[in-house]
Amino acid sequence: MANFNFKERVIECKIVYYGPGRCGKTTNLEYVFKAFKKTTSGDMVSIDTKGDRTLFFDFLPMGLGKIRGCDVMIQLYTVPGQQKYSSTRKMVLKGVDGVVFVADSLEVRRKANLLSLKDLQGNLKEQGHSIFKLPLIIQYNKRDLAEEGFPILPEDVLERDLNSKLKAPSFAASAVKGTGVWPTLKECMKLTLLELQKELKWAG
Amino acid sequence: MSDKDRIRSLLKEAELYKKQSLLTQSKDKYLNVLQIIESSRQLGNREKLMDAVREKMRAVEEKLTEIDEAPEVPELSESQHNLIRKRFSFSKDKDKAAIEGAVALAKFGQYEQALEQFKKLLKQGVLPVVVAKNIITCLLSFSTAEAAVAQFGQWVSRESLSRPQLKQIRAFLNSTFEKKGIKAEIPKLDEAPAEGGKEDEEEDAVLDLSSISIQLESGPLKGETVEFDVTFQSGNSVSVIIPARRKDLLASVKTGMALSDIQCFSPIGFFRANGVLFGKTEIKDGPKQGDYLLEIAINADSP
Repeated sequence: MANFNFKERVIECKIVYYGPGRCGKTTNLEYVFKAFKKTTSGDMVSIDTKGDRTLFFDFLPMGLGKIRGCDVMIQLYTVPGQQKYSSTRKMVLKGVDGVVFVADSLEVRRKANLLSLKDLQGNLKEQGHSIFKLPLIIQYNKRDLAEEGFPILPEDVLERDLNSKLKAPSFAASAVKGTGVWPTLKECMKLTLLELQKELKWAG
Repeated sequence: MSDKDRIRSLLKEAELYKKQSLLTQSKDKYLNVLQIIESSRQLGNREKLMDAVREKMRAVEEKLTEIDEAPEVPELSESQHNLIRKRFSFSKDKDKAAIEGAVALAKFGQYEQALEQFKKLLKQGVLPVVVAKNIITCLLSFSTAEAAVAQFGQWVSRESLSRPQLKQIRAFLNSTFEKKGIKAEIPKLDEAPAEGGKEDEEEDAVLDLSSISIQLESGPLKGETVEFDVTFQSGNSVSVIIPARRKDLLASVKTGMALSDIQCFSPIGFFRANGVLFGKTEIKDGPKQGDYLLEIAINADSP
């Protein structure tokens, strides 16, 4: 749930990038951080683990203008995708307002995507959230690999696998190239703020 | 596709997966290549080719072993520890926020730093049972069962905690050992009469709940489970809000109704309880005007 700091007239929202290990969550945030450096405040915190680039969380607030006199700050986080960091994922999800689920388009990661989405659903439920109600965007990452002839899943297969019941807005992306990164985040911020407005009865 | 083409394509894949740190997948592709080379008699320089592939596969295997053997948690700087504590403590209450911050450190695998924080809090007398249980959990996570037992023994001998508190911590230690299949001798407590026990025993009950789930037992939503954010809590009583538009939900809850299955979520843990809905009041003004406030007494002693 968004954090209201009435004294400073700031509303803080939390968006979490979720997905299987090595799907490109960190690459998404790195791109956003670089591309929108002027609108960010604070440092991006990346924590590397040995042999891998596991990110515990990123912190990337972005000024979004005002809602009824209050500044809206979006804090962006990623979770470590590997199975063993389950406890950390739960912790990062605490107080989440919106989720971007980054799916790996590689054929060999099909099962990993499904397991990660199931993990997300379970962890959200533990915190009293429904995956069907929380603002959620799905991103099909690594689409650029098709150009190089690597076996990737067609978008309709990914849609069927991951989004047939959720019906969440989805975007094709290549986080390394920056394609689809901003539209994904923009849509997630839009849905998150709409939900926030509903919560505050400020809509209309 | 010829064997040569298949090999070329699989090697390309194996390299990509290696680059992306999808090491198991990379190894699988190298194995596929080896199988093709082995079965293809027309290929020239088969042995040389297989040696080259094995070499590449060995590099991937080494990387996999390195990751397997690497500590699960990285070493973080003090500023990163502080950032974790700051970003993952949500309570307005200073003491509870401090506990949440320390719990966050533990969840990020920073057990030693978490332990340090918990020990500070215990010295300050902040929710001693909760803090002591977390100390035990930390010790069991990064040290040994013996260390946890020794810590408990120290609390017993130094009388730094009251007898009822020690009783609760001993029960926690005992059940944790049972769950983990650890056989260890836990120091026993003397059979002295409890002093100030009631107050201490109620400590667990004042944990902040962030949300609760209730299984409805009557009304139009009978059998369904609904989730609420806790808007206010005083001891075992929590308040939650039902929006005015949720007529079906409002019709399913009545003052005095018993709630046999309440799932309680707190920053420190999750537990099940039962309770009673003792208040249902319409909010008359403010931004939530028209919504209903439910007041629920949670029986923390329930199984």
